[in-house]
Amino acid sequence: MIRFDALRVSFDDHVALQGLDLDIGEGEFFTLLGPSGCGKTTALRSLAGFVEPTSGTLHIDGRDVTRVPSERRGVGMVFQSYALFPSMSVRENIAFGLSVQRVPRDEQRRRVDEVAAQVGLRPQQLTRGVAELSGGQQQRVAIARALVLQPRILLLDEPLSNLDAKLRVQLRGELQRLQREVGITTVYVTHDQEEALALSDRIAVLSEGRLEQVGTPREIYEQPASAFVCDFIGEATHLSAEQRAALAGAGVDAGRDAWVRPEHVSVTAADDRDPAESGSGDLPAVVLSCAYRGSTTLVELEAAGARLLASVPSAEAARVEVGDRVRARVEVSAVHQYGAAA
Amino acid sequence: MSAPHGPVAAGGAPLQADGAALPAAAVVDAPPPPARRRGATRRMLRSPLGVVVLVGVLWFSAAFLVMPNATLLLATFVPDGRLSLSAFERLLSSERALRSLGNSVLLAATLAVTVNVVGVFIVLVTGWFRMRARRVLWLGYATTFVYGGIVLAAGYSFIYGRYGFVTNALAQWWPDLDRDWFSGFAAVVAVMTFATTTNHMLFLSAALAGIDHQAIEAARLMGASTATILRRIVIPALRPMLFAVTVLTFLTGLGALTAPLVLGGEDFQTVAPMILTFARSSSSRDVAALLAILLGLATIVLLALMNRVERGGTYFAVAKVAVPITPQPFQTRWGSVVVHVLAWALWAVYVFPVLCAVAFSFVDARAIMSGSITAADLTTDHWVGVLTSADALGPFVVSVVYSGLASAAVVLGLLLVARALTRWRGWLSSLLEYVLHIPWILPTILIALGLVMTFDRPRLLVGGQVLTGTVVLLGIAYVIVKIPFTLRLLKAAFAAVPDELEDAARILGAGQLTTIRRVVVPVIAPTMAAVAALNFTSLLDDYDAAVFLYHPLFEPLGIAIKRSTEGEANVQSMGITFVYTVLLMVVQGLVLWLVYGRRGAGARRRG
Ligand SMILES: Nc1ncnc2c1ncn2[C@@H]1O[C@H](COP(=O)(O)OP(=O)(O)OP(=O)(O)O)[C@@H](O)[C@H]1O
Ligand SMILES: [Mg+2]
Repeated sequence: MIRFDALRVSFDDHVALQGLDLDIGEGEFFTLLGPSGCGKTTALRSLAGFVEPTSGTLHIDGRDVTRVPSERRGVGMVFQSYALFPSMSVRENIAFGLSVQRVPRDEQRRRVDEVAAQVGLRPQQLTRGVAELSGGQQQRVAIARALVLQPRILLLDEPLSNLDAKLRVQLRGELQRLQREVGITTVYVTHDQEEALALSDRIAVLSEGRLEQVGTPREIYEQPASAFVCDFIGEATHLSAEQRAALAGAGVDAGRDAWVRPEHVSVTAADDRDPAESGSGDLPAVVLSCAYRGSTTLVELEAAGARLLASVPSAEAARVEVGDRVRARVEVSAVHQYGAAA
Repeated sequence: MSAPHGPVAAGGAPLQADGAALPAAAVVDAPPPPARRRGATRRMLRSPLGVVVLVGVLWFSAAFLVMPNATLLLATFVPDGRLSLSAFERLLSSERALRSLGNSVLLAATLAVTVNVVGVFIVLVTGWFRMRARRVLWLGYATTFVYGGIVLAAGYSFIYGRYGFVTNALAQWWPDLDRDWFSGFAAVVAVMTFATTTNHMLFLSAALAGIDHQAIEAARLMGASTATILRRIVIPALRPMLFAVTVLTFLTGLGALTAPLVLGGEDFQTVAPMILTFARSSSSRDVAALLAILLGLATIVLLALMNRVERGGTYFAVAKVAVPITPQPFQTRWGSVVVHVLAWALWAVYVFPVLCAVAFSFVDARAIMSGSITAADLTTDHWVGVLTSADALGPFVVSVVYSGLASAAVVLGLLLVARALTRWRGWLSSLLEYVLHIPWILPTILIALGLVMTFDRPRLLVGGQVLTGTVVLLGIAYVIVKIPFTLRLLKAAFAAVPDELEDAARILGAGQLTTIRRVVVPVIAPTMAAVAALNFTSLLDDYDAAVFLYHPLFEPLGIAIKRSTEGEANVQSMGITFVYTVLLMVVQGLVLWLVYGRRGAGARRRG
C-alpha cells in the first residue's frame, strides 16, 4: 500500500536518509525503529509531505505521491508534541479539518462525537480547553483529530514519549486496540524497542539513514540481520576474541564477530562435573554483580578476561554471590555471528 | 528623555527600548539568529504571500526609510546639484553650533558616569541587598517608567524652575535667590540622571536576576564576604550588560532634546535643540541636516561597538538549573543604616515630582506661583477644564488617535512581514530585515527631519503627493520609529509557535492564510496586544518627532506640554499640564501593569 523507492533526503550539510526502500501493507501496524537521529522522523515527514525528498519516489495505493501536497495524500498524523491548537477547545481541535473542508455543522458534530467516543474521550471533555487536559487525554484528542478525516494512513511520531511509564503501557494497549478496530494502515515512529516489539506487525530498524532490517518483532529479535540490530534490540554481549577462542571447540567461529543474548547463557556451580551438553560451551567465570529484575536476575560475569551477561531465574541466582567462581554455559546455536572478525 | 535604543540582543538582532519598557527577558533570552536555509529565497518568491510582503516592504522602505535619508545626505552635501562642503563651512563658522556639539559630548560623558552610579545603586538595593520595604522602593524608582520625556522635563521645570513652586517657596525665605538656580548644565544632568535609570532597571536587573544563586552560595561556603562576592562574581557577570547600558546612556545624552530645551537655558544648549532651531529656517536647514547626520553617525558607531562587545561577552548563567538569587543580608549594622538612608533619600527624589504633579493638578496655578498653598487653593478646575473643554482635551485626543492608529498599523502591517521573515530565512529576508532596522540606528530627530525635507515636494513613490504639512506625516513617522521593536517581538512570537502546529493545520487541509488566521494569530495574539499597547504608551507623550511634523490644527500632547513651560504668560496652562501628566501616568502605568505586572516584573520585585 505504501512504497518507499530509493528515497533519499539530504539537508544542507548532511544526508538524513540514504536511499530507503520499504513496502508497507494494507492495514499493517508498521514501526520505524532506531536510535536518535537515525532519520525516523524524516522518513515519516517525507511520507506526510512535509519534507521534500532529494531523489526517489513515494507511492500510496499505487499512486506516485512524491510531489503531492500533504493535505491531498489521505494521511493523518499525530505529532510528538501533539500540536494541539491551544486557542481552541477540544471539540474545535477535532473539528478543525472538517471546518476547513466546509463540512456542514451538524455533520461535523456527529463525526466529532463519533470519533471522540472511539478514542475514549467523554462528551463533557469536548468543551474544555486543551490546556486543561492531562497528557493522556491530549494524546487522545490528537488521535481523534487525525482520524476524524478518515485518512487511509495514520502516522504517529513518538506519540507516547511525553507520558510517564505506566500511562505509556496503558495507552500502548489502547492504541493497538484502536488500530485493529479502525483497521487503518499505521506507520509508527519510536526509539523505544520494547514499544516497537509489543505493538508492531512489522518493524523496520534504521541506523544513520540506512535500513538495517525489516521483519516481524520475532524475526528482528531472534534473527537480527546485523550486529547493529542485535546490539540495539534487547541485550547482548559482544564476545571478545579470547571468549570466542575458548568457545571454538563448541562450534563458535573464532574468526568472526559474535554476540550472545543473556537468556542463552546459564550459570552452574564451578564444581559441576557434568559434561557440557552438545551445542553449548562452558567457560570458567567469576560473578561480578547481580541485578535483580523480578522473575529473572541479570548476572554479570567475568569469563575469559571479559564481561559476559547471563539471565538467570531468580531462584537459581539466589545461590550465587558476588565473587563466586562459577561456570558460564553458552548456547552456541544461539550465538549470532556476523562478517569477518573485528 | 526616551532613549531611542535598547541593548542589542545576544544574537545581534537589535531591540528597541523606547521610553519605558520592554520585556527584559526578550533581551536576555534572545535566541541566536536562525541559520539561513538554502532555497528559502526561491520558495519565498514562489509564494503569493511572499511576493506581496516583498513588494510591500520594498515600497515602504524605499519611500520612507531610504529616500528621506538619501534626501538628507543630498541636501547637505550636494545642494544645487554640485558636491559642496558649504554646510561644513557654515557649521564651523557658527560658534553656537560648535558649542552645542561640545555640550552634547560633555552631557553624554557626564551622564555615563552619573547614571551608572545611581542606576547600579538602584539595582543593588532593589535586587541584591535585603532592604526593608523593597517593593515600595522599587515602585518609587520605577516611576520613571511612566514619567519621562517632555512630561518629566516640564514637571521639574514647574517645581524647581524659574516659576516653579520650590523656587517660589525658597524665594520667600531668601529673597536674593537667583530664580534661575535650576537651569543649565547641572540641572540638565540632574534631571536626566534620575530620568534615564530605566535601562538599568530593565536590563541590569534582569542580568543580576540571571546570576546563579548557587554560585554565590558556593562562594560564601568558601569564606567569601559580601563585598568579595560583589566584586569577584556579581560585577564581572554584569560587566557586558553594564557596558551596554552605558552606551545607551551615552547615546541618550548625545541626542537629548527635551531636558536641554526646557532646562538648559541660554548657556547650555546641545545638538538636538540646535537642530530644531536651525531646521526652522530654510536657509539653515543644511546645517541642521549636517548636525543630524553627525548625531546619526555617532549613534551608528557606538551601537556597532556595543554590538561587537556584547557578542564577545557571556552573561548567561552557565548552570543548567540556575537558581535565582535571593536578597543578601547586610553584614554590619552601619552598612545597613547607610544604605537604607541613601536609598530612601533617592526614593524621595524620584517620588517628589510625581506626588507634586498629582497634588498640583488640584491646586490653583497662582498659588503654585506664589510658593505657598493653603486649603483655599484646592480646586478641581483643571480637571473639569480638561474633561469638559474641547480645547483643553484636544491635545490628549490628538495624541491618543495618532498613537492608537500608528501602533495598530505597525503591528498589523508587520504581522505578515514577520511571518514571512521567519518562514523563509534566505538572503532576501536578511536584507529586508536589515532595511527595516534602519530606524533603530537613527535618532528620531534625524528621521523626522528627513521626512520633512523629503516630502515638501511631490514624490512619485507616494503617488505624487506633498506630505509635509499634512496630518499623515507624523503618523508615518510614528510607524517608522516603532518598526524595529515591533518586528523584533513579532518575529520572536512567530518563532515560538512550534512548527508542528502549522504542520498539523496543513495536513488537516488548511491553507497558508487559514493557518495564520485560525491557528497562529490566536497563539500570538497576546504578544500582538502587548506590543501594540507598549507602542501606544511610548508614542503618547512623544515630542521629538512631533516638534518637526505636527499639524498646527492638530497639536499633540508633547507640543502642548512644552508650550506650557514657555514663560510666565503660559503659566495658566500649567495646571492643565499637571492633569495631562496624571492622565499619562495612569494610562502608561495601567498598560505596563497589564503587560508585565502580574508576571514579568516578578523577577525585579521578588522579595
Ligand atoms: N530540517 C532539518 N534541517 C537539517 N537537518 C535536519 C532537519 N531535520 C532533521 N535533520 C537531521 O537529520 C537527521 C535525522 O533526523 P530525524 O529527525 O529524522 O531523526 P530521528 O530518527 O527522528 O531522531 P529522534 O529520535 O531524535 O527524533 C538528524 O541528524 C537531524 O539533525
Ligand atoms: Mg524524531
